[in-house]
Amino acid sequence: MAVAAPPPSALAEHIHHAPKSFINRYIFTLDHKIIGLQYMIVGSLFFIISGLLAELIRVQLMNSDGRFLSPEHFNELYSVHGSSMVWLVIIPLATGGFGNFVMPLMIGARDVAFPWLNAASFWMFPPAGLILFSSFLVGAPDAGWTEYPPVSLQGPPGTSMWCIAIFLIGISSTLTGINFLVTMLKMRAPGMTFTRMPLFVWAQLATAVLNMVATTALAAALLALFLERTFGIPFYDPSHGGSPVMWQHMFWFYSHPAVYIMILPAFGVISEVLPTFARKPIFGYKMIAFSSIAIALLGFMVWAHHMFTSGMTPWLVLPFMILTFIIAIPTGIKIFSWVATLWGGNIRYTTAMLFAMGFIATFTFGGVTGVFLAAVPADFQEHGTYFVVAHIHYVLFGGSVLGLLAGAYYWFPKMSGRMLNEFWGHVHFWVTFIAFNVTFLPMHWIGLLGMPRRVPVYDPQFTDWNRVASIGSFFLVIGMAIFFINVIWSIKHGKRAGPNPWGARTLEWMTSSPPPYYNFVKVPGVLHMPYEFDQPLPYVGLEPPEQVVSGFKAPMPAGHH
Amino acid sequence: MAQQARPRQGLGPGFWPVTVLLAVITAVCDYYVVVTPVTAFLREAASPADQTDELFKFLTFFGVIVMVYTVGYLVYFGIVWRKKTSDPEDTLGIQVHGNFQLELWWTILPTILVIAIGWISVKDWAGIFYAQGGQLAVEAIGYQFGWEFRYPGLANPVADELHLPLGVPTTIHISSRDVIHGFWTPEVRLKQDAVPGLVTTIHITPTEVGTYRIVCSEYCGARHGYMVGKLIIEPKETFTAFLDKQKYAQAHAPKGPSGLPPGVNLASGNASAGQTLFAQKCSACHSLGAFSQKLVGPGLGKIFADSDHPKLVDGAAATPEDAAGIINSGYTGDMGTMPNAKTNGLSNDDIANLVVYLEGVSKGQ
Repeated sequence: MAVAAPPPSALAEHIHHAPKSFINRYIFTLDHKIIGLQYMIVGSLFFIISGLLAELIRVQLMNSDGRFLSPEHFNELYSVHGSSMVWLVIIPLATGGFGNFVMPLMIGARDVAFPWLNAASFWMFPPAGLILFSSFLVGAPDAGWTEYPPVSLQGPPGTSMWCIAIFLIGISSTLTGINFLVTMLKMRAPGMTFTRMPLFVWAQLATAVLNMVATTALAAALLALFLERTFGIPFYDPSHGGSPVMWQHMFWFYSHPAVYIMILPAFGVISEVLPTFARKPIFGYKMIAFSSIAIALLGFMVWAHHMFTSGMTPWLVLPFMILTFIIAIPTGIKIFSWVATLWGGNIRYTTAMLFAMGFIATFTFGGVTGVFLAAVPADFQEHGTYFVVAHIHYVLFGGSVLGLLAGAYYWFPKMSGRMLNEFWGHVHFWVTFIAFNVTFLPMHWIGLLGMPRRVPVYDPQFTDWNRVASIGSFFLVIGMAIFFINVIWSIKHGKRAGPNPWGARTLEWMTSSPPPYYNFVKVPGVLHMPYEFDQPLPYVGLEPPEQVVSGFKAPMPAGHH
Repeated sequence: MAQQARPRQGLGPGFWPVTVLLAVITAVCDYYVVVTPVTAFLREAASPADQTDELFKFLTFFGVIVMVYTVGYLVYFGIVWRKKTSDPEDTLGIQVHGNFQLELWWTILPTILVIAIGWISVKDWAGIFYAQGGQLAVEAIGYQFGWEFRYPGLANPVADELHLPLGVPTTIHISSRDVIHGFWTPEVRLKQDAVPGLVTTIHITPTEVGTYRIVCSEYCGARHGYMVGKLIIEPKETFTAFLDKQKYAQAHAPKGPSGLPPGVNLASGNASAGQTLFAQKCSACHSLGAFSQKLVGPGLGKIFADSDHPKLVDGAAATPEDAAGIINSGYTGDMGTMPNAKTNGLSNDDIANLVVYLEGVSKGQ
């Protein structure tokens, strides 16, 4: 990634130049773009590790009698897989990765509000991962990513390391939340009113609020668990007067909003990719923006729908069930608006667009099964089974991960200055989309018929569907391998992207690829909404590198028709 | 000037035919949803399973509509409104920003649907929580790693098998001795966590004779996956006979676990076979450390000469016969609960092998 040459204009003297040394520029950097890339590189490594952990799980479940791994090892695998996918992969990639790289560019800022804080957030991330993964050396946490006490109080020593790792990543995301919120509230380019913000920024705004408010509850819960494990202070152990259900309330008060922390940025990506490749304004901009906020607020009031069977006061399930149903409404509005955006479009099938459309299909399915889970009597059958495993993967893989992959294909040219190979991108999409459904669709079925989650052995009647799921998951690995090879190859050998290869309209495309250290020579003024394809560019005062404006009109690269 | 995709007229090619086609697909799918009995896939052992299945069908019915139309339009728009190779590069889509009426409808319709689902769910929930019960009350107690059940009139619990009489409204009180377990009977479509320090209650009325699964649905420790019980629904007379038989057996059971169980010949024990068995059957709960090195149960490494050892049997040091007795009968007491040999799948020879192995370990062999 070459540093762009300083612009020729007289403004050059007002520009902060990038640090000269490699270490200051690319390692201990304060540049939001490099920090974003650092998040992505580290997050991708963690993704590969925890994905392979999942493959070991699937190998074990090829047979019903658990002949591959000991129960102890199996329990550790799925616990670390779940924890790291949530805290070390999706949340850091969605906020720290894409949020960091894209959001300041989109609002025409030169950096986030607090660059030092941003760097501090990042540097808590790799240690958190190292702590979590090295817990395998002493006995990794084994009670799932939810670590319900009292059983987590008996867990191996690694459970305490889990507490520390998640605590650390929690601080990191709280600080990122504060940082991003201030950035979006105070540093938007002149003229970028709230209703002119790109929808990815709206999504990051809602996410930042969730990160800032919810994570504190998790921190308190983790601290109490750590103190109980280490010093025996009885917060949760009922035999000493603690309350095991209290952990569940505090954990889910964070972890339900965390579901939206993971999905809202993906919603944002989809809302950018669809208008760009359909060449038309997003359908119902205000309703999509509003529904992000509605989801974020409602997201705080539904946590106990994870606890319908946990023995809380019986009538308390009713408000949580009703509020959960209500959340389906703004989510539905988003989905219908996306589908309607395609109507009347001039759709270009780039890989990013395929992932965005695949996202709509799989996420809608996850949303429908979410309503199944919210209906309390049905949940009495579904809770704690493979139905839940299937649901969570439809929203987190079929939702968040497909959304982030759409974002990766969409913004890779901006990040690297080069295009990803579109042929292999298409192969990646189809392999992943099909393998994903083969892996996770059967799990709904075996869950309903009686297979609980978190088991290394199961009733032999479920063997066939488990084998189907396992074989599907092996193809997921192939799909992701294609992606990572494509990325590594394209960084060096990809076609030059130019500033705006997709003909997009948001501000990040109005500067060179990769953007210069200072993002924009002059802070641009914003005249109207970002998705008006039949209007002239809505920005004034841009002093873009030469190619930007012409790049917008330039033909799409070959292979996108 | 960039050119628009197509002149703005109507809803685009084939919109109404496709909409009708999707309606047909929905109708066919939902027809099968309605006519297929859930019992074709999973038996109904007791009410409220029938009621839950109806709710499930209702949810699936509307889920099908949402999925078919969303994915149907997604694919159809994606095909019809794709960029043709003949379209110039700067072709745009139709520049619409929204449609108030449409947005209003897709807010109102899901709201109505959600109210309907909510209403039925609340009704069903009330049916489950306020169901008639209490003609028979039993207790289900989870422990690492099994279930035991207490019945009225029986002094001691019965391990692993919950017998219930057909047609009798029954209240099940669920609790746990150690960590959280989940009491799940898939064929009754009911699940309730067994939480230590808390008693939760469900009401069921058995409707079909048979043997069903009781699955632990909440992770409870290393051998969570192996924690299964049986729900046995039988005619009233058989149930009464079962209770009588248990009463008789409990009244005539030998006092305490001491003493060599009949059929176990310690002299024939094989230490190396015992070692293998210990790794398979015992090591999840017992270490080979000192008695105080508790995993779930105590450490057994010096069991026959352990200064940490509290009163195992009547204050006396343990003998090989005592150990064999405990392995055979199981243990319930202040240290927790250990399933008996039958539950653990141990034969008389296995017991002998284990005891001989533990003797060897105690002597440092």
